[in-house]
Amino acid sequence: MNASSPTTPALVEMRAIGKSFGGVQAVDGVSISLYPGEVVALLGHNGAGKSTLMKMLAGAHTVDAGEVRINGSLTYLRSPLDAQRCGIESIYQTLALADNLDAVANLFLGRELLTRWNTLDDHRMDADARKVFSRLNKNFKNVHTPVRRLSGGQRQVVAISRAIYFNARILIMDEPTAALGPEETAMVGNLVRQLKADGVGIFLISHEMHDVFALSDRLAVMKNGKMVGTYRTGDVTEDEVLGMIIAGRQPEGKPQTHTR
Amino acid sequence: MNPVLNALRQATIDWRLVLMGMVLAAIAIVFNVLSGGLFLSPENLYNIAQQTAVVGIVATVVVLVIVARHIDLSVGSVMGFVGVLIATLMYTADWHWIEACLAGLAVGIAVSLYQGALTAMLGVPSFVVTLGGLMSFRGAAFLVADGKTQPVNDVFFQRLGGGYDGAIGVTASWLLALLLMLVLVVQTWSRRRANHAYDVPNNPVWLDAAIVLVPVAIVLAFVGAVNAYQIPGKDAPQGIPIPVLIWGAVAISLSFIVNRTRFGRYVFAMGGNPEAAALVGIPVRKVTLMLFALVGVLITLAAMVSIARLNAGTNSLGTSMELYVIAAAVIGGAALSGGSGSILGSVLGALIMQSIDSGMLLLDVPIGVRYVIIGQVLIVAVVFDVVYRRMTGDTA
Repeated sequence: MNASSPTTPALVEMRAIGKSFGGVQAVDGVSISLYPGEVVALLGHNGAGKSTLMKMLAGAHTVDAGEVRINGSLTYLRSPLDAQRCGIESIYQTLALADNLDAVANLFLGRELLTRWNTLDDHRMDADARKVFSRLNKNFKNVHTPVRRLSGGQRQVVAISRAIYFNARILIMDEPTAALGPEETAMVGNLVRQLKADGVGIFLISHEMHDVFALSDRLAVMKNGKMVGTYRTGDVTEDEVLGMIIAGRQPEGKPQTHTR
Repeated sequence: MNPVLNALRQATIDWRLVLMGMVLAAIAIVFNVLSGGLFLSPENLYNIAQQTAVVGIVATVVVLVIVARHIDLSVGSVMGFVGVLIATLMYTADWHWIEACLAGLAVGIAVSLYQGALTAMLGVPSFVVTLGGLMSFRGAAFLVADGKTQPVNDVFFQRLGGGYDGAIGVTASWLLALLLMLVLVVQTWSRRRANHAYDVPNNPVWLDAAIVLVPVAIVLAFVGAVNAYQIPGKDAPQGIPIPVLIWGAVAISLSFIVNRTRFGRYVFAMGGNPEAAALVGIPVRKVTLMLFALVGVLITLAAMVSIARLNAGTNSLGTSMELYVIAAAVIGGAALSGGSGSILGSVLGALIMQSIDSGMLLLDVPIGVRYVIIGQVLIVAVVFDVVYRRMTGDTA
């Protein structure tokens, strides 16, 4: 993972980011970076600020303080549409699916394909969606059932398909395997490796230590809205990571790494 | 598995609508027997269709409001306000009906946008905003003409309300039915062709044929009935009443918006999961505002039909209409929890309510009993909705 020189601009560079809700400082002076083909795991307790930080990158929350650079240039992410235009896709823990709509409608939600009369191009969306779904799960046929009736794995496939179909360059995965069985978890793992090989940068929020150590190149730990530290995954042990998460204690004698 | 059952299971048929159609048919047959054949007479069918039109027009859009997890309690009052305004402009200010209606449209949209903006921009619950509107705009309807009734004398405009000259005649009615049939056939045929081109499995031919033929048969039966109705003293039968034509056009346009445009899809997405809608970048506020603007447009249309039908604008126009409109939407399958409902459902819902009401009127059921029964029909519809969702696993 040391192929590219350190002078390549980071895919994402978030510097001294701050965000408060009412009087609560949810994220406080956090900096983090992400390089092409890299998986950075983001860890911390519930309420540590991981999801808030990632929602700012996804354009779902506005940034109060600090700056975001995408491919080296200063970028203001005012809405999810801004983020999507920068190639940032998110797979939320809640999956962000409209349960009453079918899988095809959910894949294209907010970015529907239109005919030249500006009406929905259902046939093209249907055909494209079937292709993406079958890439992830060969048995996915019931694309016109409301997604509330699909299994957890199928719902996950729909959420992941958004990132694949719209060619994510930067992917945020929030607890992607939390609701999945072993087979589907393995599918997500393979997907992460495949996207990585394609040069996609991935932020992986996870509580699953096994996933973190199996998939990530670097890991960053947050506590109470602040960054505890960022390390190469191979440099730290699981116990040291737990120490960072629980006590906010940096492991002794281990160098922090902000480039890959 | 039985291929017929299998095809029925895989086809995207709204079974709830089919069931409601059957309920409506059953209601019609029962009342027809009880009234000794009066209920299904051309005259009665003509009148029921015409009487339902105003509630039906408003219900088509209120369904969408409910789908988007909002409510509009002010539709009756706003319709009264806009109706009196149009009538006043025509009678007292002597405007041409087109100018008066355009002014009414502007005011209708402005009122709806005001309420929509409070809901969409400030996040005030639409229930509260429109509850205030229910009272305020009833008051405004009184203020417009100081409570005086405003006659509507324009003969051409009166035709919008149906009545003596307010139908399109036999030939035009058959032609319209034919056109509708053609559109349905072409639509189904082109969908089959496109599915084939994209390698998407089609319904069996017999099923698609049934999906086209059932509505066609209903339309033909209706046109046959209204074409058989001749007002004594007139030399030709009526044909489709203009209010019903407007209602039909509104229902088709809104169905198009729901099924074929982004706006329609976003309304449903917002109702299904507002948080997800915002996360994927749907402009929730803009869509909400557009939805309320659409309410304003259709309320104005309903107000025009209504004052044309009554030949007057009164300050009590549309009183308690919101209850009938919401009831029609709910009977038609709209869940107040949002995310589900259909335009065609609201049409059937409005017809079911009006049929029960008219049927009881034919049977001389006292007004108190009628209210009790109509109210309980609404309860039955909601109970059915809850049970149906539990059975199909749609816990919306």
